[in-house]
Parts: sequence; structure tokens; C-alpha cells
Amino acid sequence: MPPVRTARASKKAPPEGFDDIEDTLLEFAAAMKDAENASQDGKKKYEMTWPIFQITHQRSRYIYDMYYEKEAISKQLYDWLLKNGYADAMLIAKWKKQGYEKLCCTRCIQTKETNFRSTCICRVPKETLKEGQEVQCVNCGCRGCASSD
Amino acid sequence: MADVPARLPAPSPPLPAGWTEHTAPSGHVYYFNKEIKKSTYTRPVAIATPPPAPAPLPPPPASLPARLPASLGANSSYADHNDPLHQQDNSNAHDPKRKIEDLIFGGAQNLYNNRRPDHARGGHQGGARGGQNNFSDRTRQPKDRPKHRHDIPNCAPWILVRTKLGRRFVWNKDTNESFWKFPPDVMKAVVEFDRIEREKRERKERGEPSDAEEDDAIADIESGLAAAEEDVEIVEVDGEEGMDEEEEYEEVEVTDDEGEEGSHAHKRQRTEEPTAEQPGEDDDLAWQLAQMEEMEGMEGDYAEEKFYEEEPPLSEEDCKALFKELLDDTHTNPYTPWDKVLEAGALYNDDRYKALANMKARKECFDEWSRNKMVYLKEQKARQQKLDPRIPYLALLDRYATPKLYWPEFRRKYKKEPELKDGKLPDKEKEKLYREHIKRIGMRSSELKADLTALLKAQPLAALNLATTLDTLPASILTDLRYISLSPLTREPLVETYISTLPPAPEGAAASAEEEVEAAKKREERTRREKALAERERRVQEEKRKQERDLAYGKGRLREEEMEIERAMKVGKGGLKAHLGAEE
Repeated sequence: MPPVRTARASKKAPPEGFDDIEDTLLEFAAAMKDAENASQDGKKKYEMTWPIFQITHQRSRYIYDMYYEKEAISKQLYDWLLKNGYADAMLIAKWKKQGYEKLCCTRCIQTKETNFRSTCICRVPKETLKEGQEVQCVNCGCRGCASSD
Repeated sequence: MADVPARLPAPSPPLPAGWTEHTAPSGHVYYFNKEIKKSTYTRPVAIATPPPAPAPLPPPPASLPARLPASLGANSSYADHNDPLHQQDNSNAHDPKRKIEDLIFGGAQNLYNNRRPDHARGGHQGGARGGQNNFSDRTRQPKDRPKHRHDIPNCAPWILVRTKLGRRFVWNKDTNESFWKFPPDVMKAVVEFDRIEREKRERKERGEPSDAEEDDAIADIESGLAAAEEDVEIVEVDGEEGMDEEEEYEEVEVTDDEGEEGSHAHKRQRTEEPTAEQPGEDDDLAWQLAQMEEMEGMEGDYAEEKFYEEEPPLSEEDCKALFKELLDDTHTNPYTPWDKVLEAGALYNDDRYKALANMKARKECFDEWSRNKMVYLKEQKARQQKLDPRIPYLALLDRYATPKLYWPEFRRKYKKEPELKDGKLPDKEKEKLYREHIKRIGMRSSELKADLTALLKAQPLAALNLATTLDTLPASILTDLRYISLSPLTREPLVETYISTLPPAPEGAAASAEEEVEAAKKREERTRREKALAERERRVQEEKRKQERDLAYGKGRLREEEMEIERAMKVGKGGLKAHLGAEE
């Protein structure tokens, strides 16, 4: 019988440079824990997951910036972070595409999940919206993530 | 630099009886009459009840009570009735037209008109204004304050003080008395003093250097006056008439008129001197020009203007550098995201935060800074030799390892130790080192000693020399199992004696003078920038104050104009003539 590989045992030590960003990641983790444990009273059903989406977005963005914009972390560390779930690889993959630079979450571009086979309202550029129209999408609470905004 | 006098906003005239002033939640001021249960936004003016005193017209507007020569001691006991400005313009009291003009124009201007050319410093105000309409003086009486002080020669305790507006009074240092009107003996000395001054000025104009510095000890006199605030008393003195035809020796009669204070209608006092001719017609444009010029004159002390020109501009680079220094100083972690940095709020309290104009610029600056900083940190780290994870682990083994424990037992027993938890050293390596170490502990001590000496001898002189202590042993020794095989008790004397036989360290690491020079240069740059920022901050404040003053002034003027219009509308059925006739 093969040895049982626990999650801990299978985890490799983080590559060089992890301790630089560790504090920030811990903060994100703490924020995430708070968001998970926050009370849901008085919230709409679809609102409950918004903070989770937002924190995920922020953390992914942070790692994305660190690797692609500021080039502060190594390729190994970046891969390790993705592998260990610190950032959403699918989301980052979208950010690299033109027109999706500010995408809030991958759900908002899932046309198959909507009634009219369209993207979420938050993908609509501000100038195309009606004058003074305030939007907030139901998926993640995004108020607009079109690249031209 | 003396403070620029605050321009007082014209205080509103008193409300008629029954009316009260309130502030609405929106911030507007409104007025409410309890009796008639009416409220209005426009300020009600007392029209129905003409003032009981034989005042020629409804109360002269507003700003008159504001013209205290405030800093002369800010003493209300003399502020009202000892103000020479009030006492100027009675010579034309019997000419109704002149009287109206005086009311409107305040009549204070005369003072300036004649006297200007004498004053070196205040000259810029009068030149623009002389002969013009005097409206501006009524609406804005700048606070007067002592500006220059001269000891009067041969007249020991007396000091001649010239105010900002160019008026002069004498102050007795000992008794702390001040007079607008010079006492006879002082007068002579002042005349003498003026002659000397004039000569000096003429000499200066001819190009000879003068030794006297004008700006002396204003602060001194101010503090002296402020300290004696309560005691200051301007005593009425009968001066000699016609002592001098020059305006500088203007004499002012001081009278008590406390009884009038309630009515707000300022009685104007008579002076002995005839006032200058008041220009009859008013040209609006000319007036505005004059006013503008005057405002500029009021704001700009010469020193300040000069300073503006001299000020080295804070370039964009400097601003950025300032902001980066702020980031450095607050020990911001370059790996933190920008919004987290903002959330932490450590930046807001510093002036350097405002060096950059907007958030976008700040973010860009932060990105740049963090990028550079990260590169720098990386370099630092690379330069700094890596701490071998084996060093703390071997130290742990040295402390705890015994032949009685197998590796799994040892690991379980000390699993809480950070050295064992450390992920950098793989478990296999740890196990190998442990087993090896246990094996070596069982060996004979003479062999171990020989091993240790061999290890020590293998070290180069640069790493191990006379300067080395037990705490600063090189990593090559600390990571070797041969070093910890012996117990510390026997090992340490051995190592120490070996070190004592070594020659001192070879000369190699010369202090880098160049780096020091670099650092000094950086520091200098930094102080320069910080100074420039402080200057800029100060200028902005100045500007802001100025604007506020202008605003207040404008508001006051507007109000007065409104009132004037209102008054004009309310001339009764009898017409102006009847009105004036009644007052006469």
C-alpha cells in the first residue's frame, strides 16, 4: 500500500522570496477568514459571496502585479503561488488579454450562464451606460470593470 | 516678516428690535421676527426708527467700528475714541454734500493723501490712491500695527513708533504711555529726529551707504505693548497749535465718547487740522484700479515679493524624491499593495505627502519607488551571504542530540523547535546529519580533537584570524559536523587557544570613502528639497489666507452695497433735500 500523502507532507517549501510577500498574503488570508465568518444578516442571497470574490480578486491582482508589473518575484515563486491557490490562474490568464485588463471575475464573462447569452452588466463601459446609471453586478458586486473605464 | 494684517470682514449692522439671527441647517443665515412670526433670508435693516442722535443719515455702514488700531495694544478702552481716522474729516461738516461723501467714503483717506511722499515704506499705497476716490478705505480698514520704532535722541524714555499705515505715535517706555499727539518737549525732539532722518535719506539717495537699519525691535515693542495691554492709556494732551504744518505732526484730540457706542453711529471728532481736499466726483473704474493696487500693496511686503522671485522652484523630480523619501522614512514595505499602504494611513500626516498633486501621481511614484526598492533589496540579499539553514540545525543538534534517541524519536520530541520545522533544509538532510552526528558522538575524544584541529587549520586566514571570537566563527566551521562532535566544554578552550596563535587579519577591506561622499551628497540634496517643500507650503498658506481675506472683504463689500441700495430705495417721500434738511 502506498504511503498516505497528506496535504502538508506533499507541500514543498516555498521558493526564495516568499517571505517578502508573506506578510501581505497573511493579511489577505486574515481578511478572507473574516469575510467567511462575517454574519450574513440582512444581506441578499447573492450578496453573500461578494466579499470572497473581492478578496480573491485583490490577492490575484497583487500576485499578478508582483510578477508581471513589478517583476519582484521569481518565476518559481509565482508558479508555486498559483499551484498553492494564492492566486486564480484563470483570472490572471484573462487579465493578459486585451479588453480584459480589469476583469473582476471569470463568472462575469460567462455568456452561457445568462439569459440573453451576454456578459455581465459590469462589463459594459461607462459611456455606453445611461447617464447617471449606477450598476453593481450580482456575481461579485463589481461596479464596472470595462477596460476603458 | 511682519504679518499681513487681516482684513476684517465688515460686521453686519445691528438688527432692528424683535429680529433674531439664526443659522439654518444648510448653513444659510436667516432672520426671524418673533412678534410678527416672519422669517427672511435678507437681513432686515432698521428703517422705521431713525436714530435718535442727530446723525445725518442712517448709521454709517458697518466697517467703521472695525478699524481699531488693534495691535497697538488691542485695547478697547481707547480703540473707539482714540482713532485718528475718525477724527479727521470734520472740517467739512457743514457742507451737506461733503458730508454725504464723507459718510460714504469714510473720510479717512485724507490722512493718506497728504502725507504719503514722506514715507519710504508705505509709499506704495498712497501713490496709487492719492486723489482718488476713497471708497475702499471705508470698506476695509486694515488693522494697524506698529512697524518701526525709533529711539528719539535726547528724549530718553520716549520712543517714536511708526505704524504700518504710516501713522506715528510716541510711546514712553517707562510709564507705558502712548500719545498720538506729541507732548511739547517730545515734539521738539521728534522734529530734530526727523531732520536727521531726512538728511540721512538724502545722503542715501546720493549713494552713500547708510548704517542705520530700519527694521529693529518691532517684536520687542509689540511684546512690550502687549504685556502692558491693560495699562495702556492714551492720555489726552493739549498740544501746541500750529507747531508744524507738516502732516507728520498731526495732532489728534482724544475725547471720550463711550456713550455712543450702542448707537453704532460713529461720531466723528473734530481735529484741529484742516483736511485735504476731498475729490468730489468718483470714477468707478479709477476707483477699482486704485483699490486693486492698494490690495496688492497691502499683501506684498517687499521682502515677500522679493522672496517669490528668489524662490527656487520645486521641480517635479524634487517632488517625487520627496515622496519617495517619505516612503523610505515611514519604513513602508515595498511589497505591500498601494491601497494597503494608504489604508495604513502613515503617510497622511506628513507634509511631503502633499508634494505630489494627486493620487495618480502618488501611485505612479509609489510603483516606481517600490520597483526600485525591490531591486535594491534583492541586491542586498544577494550580497549578504545566505545564512546556511544547517547552522541553526547543527546548533540544535549540539544542544539536544543524544545517542539514546533514534531519529524518529528525536524528531517527535523536538518537533516544536523552529529549526526542525524549517522547510529549507529537507527532512532527508536533517535525518542524515542527525545519524552522522550520533555516530560521531560515540567516537573517541582524541580522534574528535584531531578532527577539529584539522578543520580549524583548513580555514583561510581571512576567515579565521586573531580578531575572530567564538561568536563570529565562519560558516564553514559552523556547518561542519566535526565542530559540534566535541562537547562545548572541551571544544571552546581548544578553539580559543588555536585562535590566539593566529596572526591578525590581513588588510583588505578599506573603508570606502567614495560611498561616504555619495551619502553626504544625498543627505544634502534631501535637506535642500525638504526646505523647498516647507517654503512652498508656507506660500500656499499665505495664498490661502489672502484668498480668504479677499473673500471676506468681498462679502462685506457686497453686503454694504446692498445696504446702500436699500437705503437709497428708502428715501422717504420728501426726497433727498427734505431728508437732509431734517437732519441739519
